Amino acid sequence: MQNLSQSETLTRSNSVDEIVLAAFDRFELPVTAIAVGGYGRRELFPYSDVDLLLLNSGPLDPAAREGVSAFLRTLWDAGLRVSQSVHTAAECCVIHEGNLELTISLLDQRYLRGDASRYEQLTTAFPKFLNSQRGAIVAHLIQAARTRHAKYGGTIYHLEPDVKEHPGGLRDLHVIHWLRKMKSFETEPLDQVREQLFAVRSELHRFSRRDNNVLMFEAQEALSTDPANWMRQYYRNARQIFGAATRAINACEPVENSLFSQFRERRSRLSTADFTVSRERVLLRNPGQLTHDPSAATRLLLYVGRHGLRVAQDTMQRLTLMPSFAMTWPELRRLLALPHCVAALRVMAESGLLVKFIPEWSRIDCLVVRDFYHRYTVDEHTLVAIQGLEQLSGDQQSLRKRFAALYTEIDHRELLHFALLLHDIGKGDASGDHARQSSVIAQRVMERLQAPQEDRDTVLFLIEQHLALSSIMTSRDLNDGATARQISQSMGTIERLKLLTLMTYADVSAVNPTAMTPWRLEQLWRVCRIGLDEFTRALAADRIGAPDQADAQTSAFLEGFPTRYLRTHSPADIQRHQELARRPPGIALDRLNGTYQLTVITPDRQFLLASISGALASFGFNILKAEAFANRNGLALDTFVFADPNRTLELNPPEADRVRDTVERTILGKVMPPGSSASGAARFP
Amino acid sequence: MKKIEAIIQPHKLEEVKEALKAIGIDGMTITEVRGHGRQKGHKEIYRGMEYHVDMLPKVKLEMVVPDARAEQVIQTLVQSARTGKIGDGKVFVYDVADAVRIRNDDRGEGAL
Repeated sequence: MQNLSQSETLTRSNSVDEIVLAAFDRFELPVTAIAVGGYGRRELFPYSDVDLLLLNSGPLDPAAREGVSAFLRTLWDAGLRVSQSVHTAAECCVIHEGNLELTISLLDQRYLRGDASRYEQLTTAFPKFLNSQRGAIVAHLIQAARTRHAKYGGTIYHLEPDVKEHPGGLRDLHVIHWLRKMKSFETEPLDQVREQLFAVRSELHRFSRRDNNVLMFEAQEALSTDPANWMRQYYRNARQIFGAATRAINACEPVENSLFSQFRERRSRLSTADFTVSRERVLLRNPGQLTHDPSAATRLLLYVGRHGLRVAQDTMQRLTLMPSFAMTWPELRRLLALPHCVAALRVMAESGLLVKFIPEWSRIDCLVVRDFYHRYTVDEHTLVAIQGLEQLSGDQQSLRKRFAALYTEIDHRELLHFALLLHDIGKGDASGDHARQSSVIAQRVMERLQAPQEDRDTVLFLIEQHLALSSIMTSRDLNDGATARQISQSMGTIERLKLLTLMTYADVSAVNPTAMTPWRLEQLWRVCRIGLDEFTRALAADRIGAPDQADAQTSAFLEGFPTRYLRTHSPADIQRHQELARRPPGIALDRLNGTYQLTVITPDRQFLLASISGALASFGFNILKAEAFANRNGLALDTFVFADPNRTLELNPPEADRVRDTVERTILGKVMPPGSSASGAARFP
Repeated sequence: MKKIEAIIQPHKLEEVKEALKAIGIDGMTITEVRGHGRQKGHKEIYRGMEYHVDMLPKVKLEMVVPDARAEQVIQTLVQSARTGKIGDGKVFVYDVADAVRIRNDDRGEGAL
């Protein structure tokens, strides 16, 4: 039973041999017939071309030419699709600039009939030729494979894959086969995956009744009783082939000496105590490390996510062999906040670490969703979505740069990335509402990872609502004030509106390369914009009235603040403010991603904001953002976000106390801020 | 035969389609388009960056109907697409010389 399809292609090749030999013998031909390419390898699929090389010793005379034509006609009449070429042995041993197809087809050659001495000439000359041109041929093979992979998006996950040309297709097996003829390197055994692919291609050809390599939905349904699972199997198979081909290509890649490669080598400066970087790939310094120190895997992923590097083949193999893998929630958040987190996620997905960490991932691994619009399998769609956000940074295209700006404003991009990672994980389920199903699964995952409640709320909100803005975009009147109010109410906070806008942007963009049309970009932006306008307008005007907060203390604190206060602060912030408010003046100074935040709560008075600003300026700080709120009891809450360009606070930690002290005395009116008097002006930058 | 082309607000699409269906018009071509009418564009400032918004998203419907039905279709379109505000869109009507059904060579109104 084993290798059924491979023996089938062999059987077909043998019966074609019989036809070719019989036809050849009928004509007295002054040429030597040689099987090349797939036919040379004895791998003939139903309806595939039969590649023949006819070796001659010089130009053919008219009679011989007529004989060759008659011979070929006979083969066509016998139902073979012959693709022939006529060359001398010398012509076969020359590099044809821009077209190495002949050379490559000759890598698999087999004598059929005719003057054997002519074939001997070829078998003597060809290896010498290969030896002299090895570098050029290998470079060409690699270049051609890379170009082909790039042409098909570098992914195996096409819903209607081409079993020959796409990454993970037959051509990749050929590339490995050819490279092995040119260079020696190790590959894993591929017999089983080859057999699987052969079986699919044979059946596809029989189904299409021609040499068709595109596995259309129609064929998927005809060739299997359970197309979804059958295709999953296909993708897993293709993934192995693609992985093996990529490794083979990397192993054979010539060491370039160009300026570019020197530049790439500069990245080796990134090497650390754990890792070395060579030719854009990360290697473990101590290969055995993963076995006795599993946390090295996490460090490796963080490293990849920070620098956007690829992982060396050997390291990848070791990751694959890890029996288990886990990260803590804070580690995962750190990873997902990194500029190249998708590179790290791809390493996790390919090495199987992702499934070991989040077993639920296997639900969408290679999962096909069959509709007209989706280009990729669900897992790939997910990664492409996050990648779409990564690529937003610095996008200057006029419609996208607004989203790029939004992406820089949000506080917790890692939560957005995590929500995207799981937003379609419910699609593995047959039930209808995948957003709901995904959020149930995400809830379970976050419980297991012990994510704090606040993070959970944000992530679940994003997953559950991930289709909401798309629906508003097409079904609601954006000029109607009611739509804006509905958006602001259902989003709750400005931050959530921004997060969900970006989530929608990423999700739609990853459906297929043309799904995010300028129309949708503009419409999505308008939805976001009217929501933001509603927040800033309404929230400033609305006051928190007879509050429904549970305890009287919170109510007393909140009453009279604009609604905007609730929408721009998290419950944790609010609780902290309340604590500060217990003994006014409450002053807090915190470090915040490279900037500082000063929070002051004190009875309101005239010029309060101005004098605190003055106090901060006197230290040489740069105020980036300031907000002021006052509640019904006359308590003022002022917050300042400021930069410290002279690094005063960083270099002299005790200065923080002096800042707090100065601010306190300013609030209490004990001092005029030093900056406001002539004598104190010295510290201004 | 008349070709009727309507540019409408995106959110009105479902309502317009339903209204046309109710009077027996099922076949139409729908395109997501961007453009502007008399208001031209406007400048928008978001976080200190200036964006020029000159192309507003709209939906274009196109259909060809027998002469006798044209007026009814136009009325239905206008009524169902109207909100009364700026930006409701426009309807254009053209004469159509002929129509051919590619499958079987039907000509004229028979091909609609």
